[in-house]
Amino acid sequence: MYKYIDNFADEVIEQMRNLPKDEIAKAIHIIQSVYERDGRIYVFGNGGSMAMATHWVGDFNKTVFSHNLDSSIKRFQAIRLPSTEAEITAWANDVGFDMVFAGPLKNYLQETDCLIAISSSGNSLNIIKAVELAKSHHVPVIGVSGFTGGKLNELADAKIVVKTKSGAYAVVESVHNAILHLLTSYFQDYFDHIIEKNGKK
Amino acid sequence: MIITRAPLRISFVGGGTDIKEFYSRYPGRVLSTSIDKFVYIVAHTGNFGNFIMKYSKTETVEDVLEISHTRFKEALVKMEIPKGIEIASFADLPAKTGLGSSSSFTVALMKALYSIKGKKISKEETAQAACELEIDILKEPIGKQDQYAAAYGGLNVITFNTDGTVSVEPVFMDFKFKSKFENHMMLFFTGMTRSASSVLSGQKKKIDDNFETYKKMSDSVLVFRDKLLSQDLRGMGEMLHEAWQRKKTLASSVTNDSTDALYETAIKAGAWGGKILGAGGGGCLLFMAEPGTQEKIQEALEKKAKGLKLNDFKRVHFGLTVSGIDVLFNSSNIL
Repeated sequence: MYKYIDNFADEVIEQMRNLPKDEIAKAIHIIQSVYERDGRIYVFGNGGSMAMATHWVGDFNKTVFSHNLDSSIKRFQAIRLPSTEAEITAWANDVGFDMVFAGPLKNYLQETDCLIAISSSGNSLNIIKAVELAKSHHVPVIGVSGFTGGKLNELADAKIVVKTKSGAYAVVESVHNAILHLLTSYFQDYFDHIIEKNGKK
Repeated sequence: MIITRAPLRISFVGGGTDIKEFYSRYPGRVLSTSIDKFVYIVAHTGNFGNFIMKYSKTETVEDVLEISHTRFKEALVKMEIPKGIEIASFADLPAKTGLGSSSSFTVALMKALYSIKGKKISKEETAQAACELEIDILKEPIGKQDQYAAAYGGLNVITFNTDGTVSVEPVFMDFKFKSKFENHMMLFFTGMTRSASSVLSGQKKKIDDNFETYKKMSDSVLVFRDKLLSQDLRGMGEMLHEAWQRKKTLASSVTNDSTDALYETAIKAGAWGGKILGAGGGGCLLFMAEPGTQEKIQEALEKKAKGLKLNDFKRVHFGLTVSGIDVLFNSSNIL
Protein backbone atom coordinates (compact mmCIF):
# COMPACT_ATOMS: atom_id res chain seq x y z
CA MET A 1 0.00 0.00 0.00
CA TYR A 2 2.71 2.51 0.98
CA LYS A 3 4.49 1.82 -2.25
CA TYR A 4 1.36 2.59 -4.25
CA ILE A 5 0.93 5.87 -2.41
CA ASP A 6 4.60 6.73 -2.86
CA ASN A 7 4.48 5.97 -6.57
CA PHE A 8 1.58 8.33 -7.12
CA ALA A 9 3.17 11.01 -4.97
CA ASP A 10 6.46 10.62 -6.87
CA GLU A 11 4.75 11.14 -10.20
CA VAL A 12 3.06 14.31 -8.98
CA ILE A 13 6.25 15.58 -7.31
CA GLU A 14 8.22 14.96 -10.50
CA GLN A 15 5.73 17.12 -12.41
CA MET A 16 5.69 19.79 -9.72
CA ARG A 17 9.49 20.04 -9.93
CA ASN A 18 9.28 20.62 -13.67
CA LEU A 19 6.54 23.23 -13.94
CA PRO A 20 6.69 25.30 -17.17
CA LYS A 21 7.72 28.48 -15.30
CA ASP A 22 8.01 30.81 -18.29
CA GLU A 23 4.54 29.84 -19.48
CA ILE A 24 3.06 30.32 -16.01
CA ALA A 25 4.75 33.75 -15.90
CA LYS A 26 3.14 34.54 -19.26
CA ALA A 27 -0.25 33.48 -17.90
CA ILE A 28 0.18 35.82 -14.90
CA HIS A 29 1.09 38.58 -17.36
CA ILE A 30 -2.04 37.97 -19.41
CA ILE A 31 -4.27 38.03 -16.32
CA GLN A 32 -2.55 41.22 -15.10
CA SER A 33 -3.13 42.93 -18.45
CA VAL A 34 -6.81 41.93 -18.43
CA TYR A 35 -7.11 43.43 -14.95
CA GLU A 36 -5.52 46.69 -16.15
CA ARG A 37 -8.01 47.05 -18.98
CA ASP A 38 -10.96 45.86 -16.90
CA GLY A 39 -11.62 42.84 -19.11
CA ARG A 40 -13.07 39.48 -18.14
CA ILE A 41 -11.52 36.05 -17.71
CA TYR A 42 -13.50 33.11 -19.12
CA VAL A 43 -12.56 29.72 -17.68
CA PHE A 44 -13.82 26.40 -18.96
CA GLY A 45 -13.22 22.67 -19.36
CA ASN A 46 -15.01 19.31 -19.56
CA GLY A 47 -15.76 17.04 -16.59
CA GLY A 48 -13.11 17.34 -13.87
CA SER A 49 -11.65 20.33 -15.71
CA MET A 50 -15.03 22.06 -15.53
CA ALA A 51 -15.10 21.39 -11.77
CA MET A 52 -11.65 23.00 -11.53
CA ALA A 53 -12.80 25.94 -13.64
CA THR A 54 -15.74 26.49 -11.28
CA HIS A 55 -13.54 26.23 -8.19
CA TRP A 56 -11.02 28.66 -9.68
CA VAL A 57 -13.66 31.26 -10.51
CA GLY A 58 -14.88 31.18 -6.91
CA ASP A 59 -11.35 31.60 -5.60
CA PHE A 60 -10.45 34.28 -8.08
CA ASN A 61 -13.47 36.43 -7.51
CA LYS A 62 -13.40 36.17 -3.74
CA THR A 63 -10.39 34.41 -2.16
CA VAL A 64 -7.99 36.71 -4.02
CA PHE A 65 -9.53 39.64 -2.15
CA SER A 66 -10.52 37.82 1.05
CA HIS A 67 -8.08 39.79 3.22
CA ASN A 68 -9.43 43.00 1.74
CA LEU A 69 -13.13 42.48 1.17
CA ASP A 70 -13.92 45.93 2.55
CA SER A 71 -11.38 47.66 0.34
CA SER A 72 -12.65 49.61 -2.63
CA ILE A 73 -10.02 48.14 -4.96
CA LYS A 74 -11.21 47.07 -8.40
CA ARG A 75 -11.87 43.31 -8.48
CA PHE A 76 -11.57 40.57 -11.06
CA GLN A 77 -14.38 39.51 -13.33
CA ALA A 78 -13.76 35.78 -13.75
CA ILE A 79 -16.61 33.83 -15.29
CA ARG A 80 -17.10 30.07 -15.65
CA LEU A 81 -18.18 29.30 -19.20
CA PRO A 82 -21.05 28.84 -19.72
CA SER A 83 -22.30 30.37 -16.54
CA THR A 84 -25.61 28.45 -16.45
CA GLU A 85 -26.55 24.76 -16.81
CA ALA A 86 -29.35 25.91 -19.08
CA GLU A 87 -26.86 27.16 -21.66
CA ILE A 88 -24.81 23.96 -21.60
CA THR A 89 -27.82 21.75 -22.18
CA ALA A 90 -29.46 24.10 -24.66
CA TRP A 91 -26.38 24.28 -26.88
CA ALA A 92 -25.66 20.55 -26.52
CA ASN A 93 -29.25 19.56 -27.26
CA ASP A 94 -30.06 22.04 -29.99
CA VAL A 95 -26.75 22.48 -31.80
CA GLY A 96 -24.22 19.93 -30.62
CA PHE A 97 -21.82 19.30 -27.79
CA ASP A 98 -18.94 20.87 -29.71
CA MET A 99 -20.61 24.27 -29.33
CA VAL A 100 -21.23 24.33 -25.55
CA PHE A 101 -18.33 26.77 -24.99
CA ALA A 102 -17.94 28.60 -28.31
CA GLY A 103 -21.70 29.20 -28.56
CA PRO A 104 -22.13 31.08 -25.28
CA LEU A 105 -18.69 32.72 -25.60
CA LYS A 106 -19.80 34.40 -28.81
CA ASN A 107 -22.43 36.27 -26.76
CA TYR A 108 -19.92 37.85 -24.41
CA LEU A 109 -16.44 37.98 -25.90
CA GLN A 110 -14.74 41.40 -26.11
CA GLU A 111 -11.20 42.24 -27.20
CA THR A 112 -10.25 43.17 -23.63
CA ASP A 113 -10.93 39.62 -22.32
CA CYS A 114 -8.86 36.45 -21.98
CA LEU A 115 -9.56 32.72 -21.84
CA ILE A 116 -8.30 29.96 -19.60
CA ALA A 117 -8.99 26.64 -21.35
CA ILE A 118 -8.41 23.51 -19.31
CA SER A 119 -8.15 20.17 -21.14
CA SER A 120 -5.93 17.21 -20.21
CA SER A 121 -5.73 15.92 -23.78
CA GLY A 122 -5.76 19.41 -25.27
CA ASN A 123 -7.84 18.01 -28.11
CA SER A 124 -11.49 18.23 -26.96
CA LEU A 125 -13.34 19.65 -29.95
CA ASN A 126 -15.61 21.91 -27.89
CA ILE A 127 -12.56 23.45 -26.18
CA ILE A 128 -10.71 23.97 -29.45
CA LYS A 129 -13.73 25.66 -31.06
CA ALA A 130 -13.89 28.23 -28.26
CA VAL A 131 -10.13 28.78 -28.42
CA GLU A 132 -10.27 29.29 -32.19
CA LEU A 133 -13.05 31.83 -31.76
CA ALA A 134 -10.92 33.79 -29.28
CA LYS A 135 -7.82 33.57 -31.45
CA SER A 136 -9.69 34.93 -34.47
CA HIS A 137 -10.34 38.07 -32.42
CA HIS A 138 -6.78 38.24 -30.98
CA VAL A 139 -8.08 37.52 -27.50
CA PRO A 140 -5.22 35.91 -25.51
CA VAL A 141 -5.62 32.27 -24.45
CA ILE A 142 -4.03 30.52 -21.48
CA GLY A 143 -3.96 26.81 -22.32
CA VAL A 144 -3.78 24.38 -19.40
CA SER A 145 -3.22 20.93 -20.88
CA GLY A 146 -1.60 17.55 -20.19
CA PHE A 147 -0.13 14.54 -22.08
CA THR A 148 1.45 16.05 -25.23
CA GLY A 149 -0.56 19.27 -25.00
CA GLY A 150 -2.56 18.59 -28.16
CA LYS A 151 -4.05 21.30 -30.32
CA LEU A 152 -4.80 23.52 -27.30
CA ASN A 153 -1.09 23.82 -26.56
CA GLU A 154 -0.37 24.73 -30.18
CA LEU A 155 -2.98 27.49 -30.23
CA ALA A 156 -2.50 28.95 -26.74
CA ASP A 157 -0.50 32.11 -26.01
CA ALA A 158 0.56 30.82 -22.59
CA LYS A 159 1.27 27.12 -23.16
CA ILE A 160 1.00 25.47 -19.75
CA VAL A 161 1.35 21.76 -20.49
CA VAL A 162 1.90 19.04 -17.86
CA LYS A 163 3.76 16.51 -20.02
CA THR A 164 2.87 12.92 -19.13
CA LYS A 165 2.07 9.68 -20.90
CA SER A 166 -1.33 9.72 -22.54
CA GLY A 167 -4.22 9.01 -20.17
CA ALA A 168 -2.48 10.01 -16.91
CA TYR A 169 -5.51 12.08 -15.89
CA ALA A 170 -5.03 11.79 -12.13
CA VAL A 171 -1.50 13.22 -12.21
CA VAL A 172 -2.35 15.88 -14.81
CA GLU A 173 -5.45 17.11 -12.99
CA SER A 174 -3.66 17.16 -9.62
CA VAL A 175 -0.94 19.36 -11.08
CA HIS A 176 -3.46 21.52 -12.95
CA ASN A 177 -5.18 22.22 -9.66
CA ALA A 178 -1.88 23.23 -8.07
CA ILE A 179 -1.08 25.56 -10.99
CA LEU A 180 -4.52 27.16 -10.80
CA HIS A 181 -4.04 27.68 -7.07
CA LEU A 182 -0.63 29.19 -7.77
CA LEU A 183 -2.34 31.84 -9.93
CA THR A 184 -4.84 32.54 -7.15
CA SER A 185 -2.08 32.78 -4.51
CA TYR A 186 -0.02 35.11 -6.66
CA PHE A 187 -2.85 37.59 -7.09
CA GLN A 188 -3.93 37.28 -3.45
CA ASP A 189 -0.38 38.23 -2.39
CA TYR A 190 -0.30 40.93 -5.05
CA PHE A 191 -3.45 42.65 -3.78
CA ASP A 192 -2.35 42.31 -0.15
CA HIS A 193 0.85 44.09 -1.21
CA ILE A 194 -0.92 46.83 -3.20
CA ILE A 195 -3.42 47.56 -0.45
CA GLU A 196 -0.72 47.64 2.22
CA LYS A 197 1.38 49.97 0.07
CA ASN A 198 -1.52 52.30 -0.71
CA GLY A 199 -2.56 52.30 2.92
CA LYS A 200 0.88 53.49 3.95
CA LYS A 201 0.82 56.47 1.54
CA MET B 1 -18.22 54.74 -31.41
CA ILE B 2 -14.79 53.27 -30.71
CA ILE B 3 -12.47 54.11 -27.81
CA THR B 4 -8.88 52.89 -28.00
CA ARG B 5 -6.03 53.41 -25.58
CA ALA B 6 -2.26 53.03 -26.00
CA PRO B 7 0.28 53.43 -23.18
CA LEU B 8 3.26 55.78 -23.09
CA ARG B 9 6.67 54.20 -22.53
CA ILE B 10 9.95 54.67 -20.75
CA SER B 11 12.99 53.34 -22.59
CA PHE B 12 16.01 52.41 -20.54
CA VAL B 13 18.74 51.38 -22.98
CA GLY B 14 19.31 50.91 -26.69
CA GLY B 15 17.32 53.90 -27.99
CA GLY B 16 18.57 54.94 -31.42
CA THR B 17 19.45 51.41 -32.55
CA ASP B 18 15.90 51.05 -33.90
CA ILE B 19 16.72 53.16 -36.96
CA LYS B 20 16.92 51.28 -40.28
CA GLU B 21 20.31 52.74 -41.17
CA PHE B 22 21.62 50.80 -38.16
CA TYR B 23 19.51 47.65 -37.78
CA SER B 24 19.86 46.70 -41.44
CA ARG B 25 23.56 46.15 -40.66
CA TYR B 26 23.45 44.88 -37.06
CA PRO B 27 20.46 43.87 -34.88
CA GLY B 28 19.14 46.83 -32.91
CA ARG B 29 17.74 46.33 -29.41
CA VAL B 30 15.91 48.40 -26.82
CA LEU B 31 14.64 47.62 -23.35
CA SER B 32 11.55 49.62 -22.50
CA THR B 33 8.39 49.44 -20.43
CA SER B 34 4.87 50.78 -20.78
CA ILE B 35 3.62 53.01 -17.96
CA ASP B 36 0.23 53.92 -16.53
CA LYS B 37 -0.11 57.05 -18.67
CA PHE B 38 -2.08 56.79 -21.90
CA VAL B 39 -3.16 58.32 -25.18
CA TYR B 40 -6.86 57.78 -25.95
CA ILE B 41 -8.57 57.98 -29.32
CA VAL B 42 -12.33 58.32 -29.59
CA ALA B 43 -13.69 57.78 -33.10
CA HIS B 44 -17.30 58.25 -34.07
CA THR B 45 -18.94 57.72 -37.44
CA GLY B 46 -22.28 59.17 -38.42
CA ASN B 47 -24.23 61.05 -41.03
CA PHE B 48 -22.95 64.51 -40.36
CA GLY B 49 -20.95 64.61 -43.57
CA ASN B 50 -17.60 66.15 -42.64
CA PHE B 51 -14.23 65.19 -41.24
CA ILE B 52 -13.98 66.55 -37.71
CA MET B 53 -10.62 66.22 -35.94
CA LYS B 54 -10.34 67.29 -32.31
CA TYR B 55 -6.96 67.64 -30.64
CA SER B 56 -5.35 70.81 -29.29
CA LYS B 57 -7.34 72.38 -32.16
CA THR B 58 -10.58 71.43 -33.85
CA GLU B 59 -10.65 71.00 -37.61
CA THR B 60 -13.88 70.62 -39.57
CA VAL B 61 -13.29 70.03 -43.28
CA GLU B 62 -15.17 68.50 -46.17
CA ASP B 63 -12.22 67.00 -48.03
CA VAL B 64 -9.82 64.69 -46.22
CA LEU B 65 -6.88 66.38 -47.96
CA GLU B 66 -7.75 69.66 -46.25
CA ILE B 67 -6.91 68.24 -42.80
CA SER B 68 -3.79 69.99 -41.57
CA HIS B 69 -2.91 67.41 -38.88
CA THR B 70 -0.75 65.15 -41.03
CA ARG B 71 -1.17 61.94 -39.01
CA PHE B 72 -4.94 62.19 -39.00
CA LYS B 73 -4.93 63.04 -42.70
CA GLU B 74 -2.60 60.28 -43.90
CA ALA B 75 -4.19 57.64 -41.64
CA LEU B 76 -7.66 58.45 -43.00
CA VAL B 77 -6.37 58.43 -46.58
CA LYS B 78 -4.55 55.14 -46.12
CA MET B 79 -7.56 53.48 -44.48
CA GLU B 80 -9.91 54.95 -47.12
CA ILE B 81 -12.29 56.25 -44.47
CA PRO B 82 -15.14 58.22 -46.08
CA LYS B 83 -16.40 61.51 -44.68
CA GLY B 84 -18.79 61.45 -41.76
CA ILE B 85 -16.19 60.75 -39.12
CA GLU B 86 -15.25 62.57 -35.96
CA ILE B 87 -12.04 61.69 -34.11
CA ALA B 88 -10.78 63.15 -30.83
CA SER B 89 -7.55 62.46 -28.98
CA PHE B 90 -6.78 62.77 -25.27
CA ALA B 91 -3.51 62.25 -23.42
CA ASP B 92 -2.52 61.89 -19.77
CA LEU B 93 0.66 63.89 -20.40
CA PRO B 94 1.54 66.60 -22.92
CA ALA B 95 3.22 65.72 -26.23
CA LYS B 96 6.95 65.95 -26.87
CA THR B 97 7.99 64.80 -23.41
CA GLY B 98 10.10 61.87 -24.61
CA LEU B 99 7.62 59.22 -23.52
CA GLY B 100 6.81 58.07 -27.04
CA SER B 101 3.43 59.76 -27.06
CA SER B 102 3.34 60.53 -30.78
CA SER B 103 3.66 56.84 -31.64
CA SER B 104 1.17 55.91 -28.90
CA PHE B 105 -1.17 58.31 -30.67
CA THR B 106 -0.60 56.62 -34.04
CA VAL B 107 -1.00 53.12 -32.56
CA ALA B 108 -4.28 54.10 -30.88
CA LEU B 109 -5.45 55.83 -34.07
CA MET B 110 -4.67 52.92 -36.41
CA LYS B 111 -6.33 50.42 -34.06
CA ALA B 112 -9.42 52.64 -33.93
CA LEU B 113 -9.60 53.04 -37.71
CA TYR B 114 -9.26 49.29 -38.29
CA SER B 115 -12.00 48.72 -35.70
CA ILE B 116 -14.24 51.17 -37.56
CA LYS B 117 -13.75 49.06 -40.66
CA GLY B 118 -14.76 45.99 -38.64
CA LYS B 119 -11.23 44.54 -38.68
CA LYS B 120 -9.55 43.19 -35.58
CA ILE B 121 -5.80 43.35 -35.86
CA SER B 122 -3.12 41.86 -33.61
CA LYS B 123 -0.57 43.83 -31.59
CA GLU B 124 2.03 43.05 -34.24
CA GLU B 125 -0.21 44.24 -37.06
CA THR B 126 -1.05 47.41 -35.12
CA ALA B 127 2.65 48.17 -34.56
CA GLN B 128 3.37 47.56 -38.24
CA ALA B 129 0.49 49.79 -39.35
CA ALA B 130 1.79 52.60 -37.12
CA CYS B 131 5.37 52.16 -38.41
CA GLU B 132 4.15 52.24 -41.99
CA LEU B 133 2.24 55.46 -41.39
CA GLU B 134 5.02 57.27 -39.53
CA ILE B 135 8.12 56.01 -41.31
CA ASP B 136 7.06 55.05 -44.84
CA ILE B 137 4.22 57.47 -45.48
CA LEU B 138 5.05 60.48 -43.30
CA LYS B 139 8.82 59.98 -43.78
CA GLU B 140 9.59 60.81 -40.18
CA PRO B 141 13.25 60.12 -39.36
CA ILE B 142 12.28 57.96 -36.38
CA GLY B 143 12.75 54.32 -35.43
CA LYS B 144 10.28 51.58 -34.61
CA GLN B 145 10.69 51.17 -30.85
CA ASP B 146 7.81 53.40 -29.76
CA GLN B 147 5.19 51.85 -32.02
CA TYR B 148 6.12 48.38 -30.73
CA ALA B 149 6.30 49.48 -27.08
CA ALA B 150 2.83 51.05 -27.30
CA ALA B 151 1.25 48.16 -29.20
CA TYR B 152 2.62 45.31 -27.06
CA GLY B 153 2.79 46.91 -23.59
CA GLY B 154 4.82 45.53 -20.68
CA LEU B 155 8.55 45.47 -20.06
CA ASN B 156 10.27 44.00 -23.10
CA VAL B 157 13.50 43.49 -24.93
CA ILE B 158 12.55 44.56 -28.46
CA THR B 159 14.92 43.35 -31.18
CA PHE B 160 15.04 44.97 -34.63
CA ASN B 161 16.33 42.22 -36.88
CA THR B 162 18.45 42.88 -39.96
CA ASP B 163 15.69 41.48 -42.22
CA GLY B 164 13.31 44.20 -40.98
CA THR B 165 11.25 41.96 -38.67
CA VAL B 166 10.87 42.81 -34.99
CA SER B 167 10.85 40.37 -32.03
CA VAL B 168 9.34 41.29 -28.66
CA GLU B 169 10.53 39.29 -25.62
CA PRO B 170 8.84 40.13 -22.32
CA VAL B 171 10.97 40.30 -19.18
CA PHE B 172 8.96 38.81 -16.32
CA MET B 173 9.02 40.41 -12.86
CA ASP B 174 6.90 39.47 -9.89
CA PHE B 175 4.91 42.20 -8.15
CA LYS B 176 7.37 42.52 -5.27
CA PHE B 177 10.28 43.36 -7.51
CA LYS B 178 8.11 45.50 -9.78
CA SER B 179 7.13 47.57 -6.78
CA LYS B 180 10.74 47.86 -5.61
CA PHE B 181 11.83 48.83 -9.11
CA GLU B 182 9.14 51.54 -9.24
CA ASN B 183 10.29 52.86 -5.86
CA HIS B 184 13.82 53.30 -7.18
CA MET B 185 12.83 55.46 -10.14
CA MET B 186 12.13 59.17 -10.36
CA LEU B 187 10.64 60.81 -13.44
CA PHE B 188 10.75 64.57 -14.01
CA PHE B 189 9.29 66.70 -16.76
CA THR B 190 12.00 69.26 -17.52
CA GLY B 191 9.55 71.88 -18.72
CA MET B 192 11.30 71.90 -22.10
CA THR B 193 9.68 70.14 -25.05
CA ARG B 194 11.26 69.16 -28.31
CA SER B 195 10.38 67.27 -31.46
CA ALA B 196 12.08 63.86 -31.73
CA SER B 197 12.44 64.29 -35.46
CA SER B 198 14.72 67.29 -35.16
CA VAL B 199 17.07 65.45 -32.80
CA LEU B 200 16.95 62.20 -34.72
CA SER B 201 17.73 63.66 -38.14
CA GLY B 202 20.98 64.93 -36.64
CA GLN B 203 21.74 61.46 -35.29
CA LYS B 204 20.79 59.61 -38.47
CA LYS B 205 23.37 61.44 -40.54
CA LYS B 206 26.08 60.22 -38.20
CA ILE B 207 25.32 56.46 -38.06
CA ASP B 208 28.45 55.58 -40.05
CA ASP B 209 30.75 57.65 -37.86
CA ASN B 210 29.23 56.18 -34.72
CA PHE B 211 28.59 52.59 -35.81
CA GLU B 212 30.68 51.04 -33.01
CA THR B 213 28.92 53.17 -30.38
CA TYR B 214 25.53 52.02 -31.69
CA LYS B 215 26.70 48.37 -31.57
CA LYS B 216 27.69 48.85 -27.92
CA MET B 217 24.30 50.43 -27.21
CA SER B 218 22.50 47.47 -28.76
CA ASP B 219 24.60 44.88 -26.89
CA SER B 220 24.22 46.75 -23.60
CA VAL B 221 20.49 45.92 -23.69
CA LEU B 222 21.25 42.28 -22.90
CA VAL B 223 23.54 43.28 -20.03
CA PHE B 224 20.85 45.59 -18.66
CA ARG B 225 18.25 42.82 -18.94
CA ASP B 226 20.51 40.45 -16.97
CA LYS B 227 20.96 43.06 -14.24
CA LEU B 228 17.19 43.47 -14.15
CA LEU B 229 16.68 39.72 -13.86
CA SER B 230 19.21 39.53 -11.02
CA GLN B 231 17.46 42.53 -9.43
CA ASP B 232 20.63 44.62 -9.37
CA LEU B 233 18.99 48.05 -9.24
CA ARG B 234 22.17 49.92 -8.44
CA GLY B 235 23.95 48.24 -11.35
CA MET B 236 21.08 49.30 -13.62
CA GLY B 237 21.34 52.90 -12.41
CA GLU B 238 25.08 52.94 -13.05
CA MET B 239 24.56 51.50 -16.52
CA LEU B 240 22.10 54.29 -17.32
CA HIS B 241 24.78 56.78 -16.31
CA GLU B 242 27.32 55.19 -18.69
CA ALA B 243 24.78 54.96 -21.50
CA TRP B 244 23.88 58.63 -21.10
CA GLN B 245 27.52 59.64 -21.38
CA ARG B 246 27.75 57.56 -24.56
CA LYS B 247 24.53 58.88 -26.07
CA LYS B 248 25.61 62.49 -25.64
CA THR B 249 28.41 61.88 -28.15
CA LEU B 250 25.92 60.93 -30.90
CA ALA B 251 24.53 64.35 -31.83
CA SER B 252 24.91 67.75 -30.26
CA SER B 253 21.11 68.13 -30.06
CA VAL B 254 20.77 65.12 -27.68
CA THR B 255 21.32 67.40 -24.72
CA ASN B 256 21.60 71.08 -23.84
CA ASP B 257 23.04 73.14 -21.00
CA SER B 258 19.90 73.10 -18.85
CA THR B 259 19.48 69.33 -19.20
CA ASP B 260 23.13 68.78 -18.32
CA ALA B 261 22.82 71.06 -15.30
CA LEU B 262 19.76 69.17 -14.04
CA TYR B 263 21.43 65.83 -14.61
CA GLU B 264 24.56 66.81 -12.72
CA THR B 265 22.46 68.17 -9.87
CA ALA B 266 20.66 64.85 -9.43
CA ILE B 267 23.90 62.85 -9.53
CA LYS B 268 25.47 65.17 -6.94
CA ALA B 269 22.42 64.75 -4.72
CA GLY B 270 22.86 60.96 -4.76
CA ALA B 271 21.18 59.49 -7.87
CA TRP B 272 22.93 56.37 -9.22
CA GLY B 273 22.32 57.35 -12.81
CA GLY B 274 19.71 58.52 -15.21
CA LYS B 275 18.93 59.59 -18.70
CA ILE B 276 16.91 61.89 -20.81
CA LEU B 277 13.89 60.05 -22.17
CA GLY B 278 13.24 59.82 -25.85
CA ALA B 279 15.44 61.26 -28.54
CA GLY B 280 16.82 63.93 -26.24
CA GLY B 281 16.98 67.70 -26.23
CA GLY B 282 14.43 68.25 -23.44
CA GLY B 283 11.41 66.23 -22.44
CA CYS B 284 11.62 64.07 -19.33
CA LEU B 285 14.52 63.00 -17.15
CA LEU B 286 14.56 59.60 -15.48
CA PHE B 287 16.76 58.84 -12.48
CA MET B 288 17.38 55.73 -10.48
CA ALA B 289 18.07 56.31 -6.81
CA GLU B 290 17.67 54.78 -3.37
CA PRO B 291 14.22 55.70 -1.95
CA GLY B 292 15.92 57.34 1.08
CA THR B 293 17.77 59.86 -1.10
CA GLN B 294 14.85 60.82 -3.31
CA GLU B 295 13.51 63.67 -1.25
CA LYS B 296 16.92 65.33 -1.30
CA ILE B 297 17.29 64.77 -5.06
CA GLN B 298 13.86 66.21 -5.75
CA GLU B 299 14.51 69.31 -3.64
CA ALA B 300 17.86 69.92 -5.32
CA LEU B 301 16.35 69.53 -8.78
CA GLU B 302 13.40 71.81 -8.04
CA LYS B 303 15.77 74.48 -6.80
CA LYS B 304 18.00 74.11 -9.85
CA ALA B 305 15.02 74.19 -12.24
CA LYS B 306 13.78 77.38 -10.62
CA GLY B 307 17.21 78.93 -11.19
CA LEU B 308 17.05 77.86 -14.83
CA LYS B 309 13.56 79.39 -15.11
CA LEU B 310 11.99 76.05 -16.01
CA ASN B 311 8.60 76.91 -14.54
CA ASP B 312 6.86 73.74 -15.70
CA PHE B 313 9.49 71.45 -14.14
CA LYS B 314 7.83 68.79 -12.01
CA ARG B 315 7.99 65.22 -10.80
CA VAL B 316 5.67 62.77 -12.52
CA HIS B 317 4.66 59.72 -10.48
CA PHE B 318 4.05 56.59 -12.48
CA GLY B 319 3.65 52.82 -12.33
CA LEU B 320 4.70 50.01 -14.66
CA THR B 321 1.98 48.23 -16.66
CA VAL B 322 1.67 45.20 -18.91
CA SER B 323 -1.28 45.84 -21.22
CA GLY B 324 -0.63 47.41 -24.63
CA ILE B 325 -3.03 48.75 -27.23
CA ASP B 326 -6.62 48.11 -26.20
CA VAL B 327 -10.06 48.71 -27.60
CA LEU B 328 -11.85 49.82 -24.45
CA PHE B 329 -15.21 50.32 -26.09
CA ASN B 330 -16.70 49.35 -29.43
CA SER B 331 -20.39 50.06 -29.82
CA SER B 332 -20.63 48.12 -33.08
CA ASN B 333 -19.05 44.98 -31.73
CA ILE B 334 -19.94 42.29 -34.21
CA LEU B 335 -18.18 39.03 -33.45
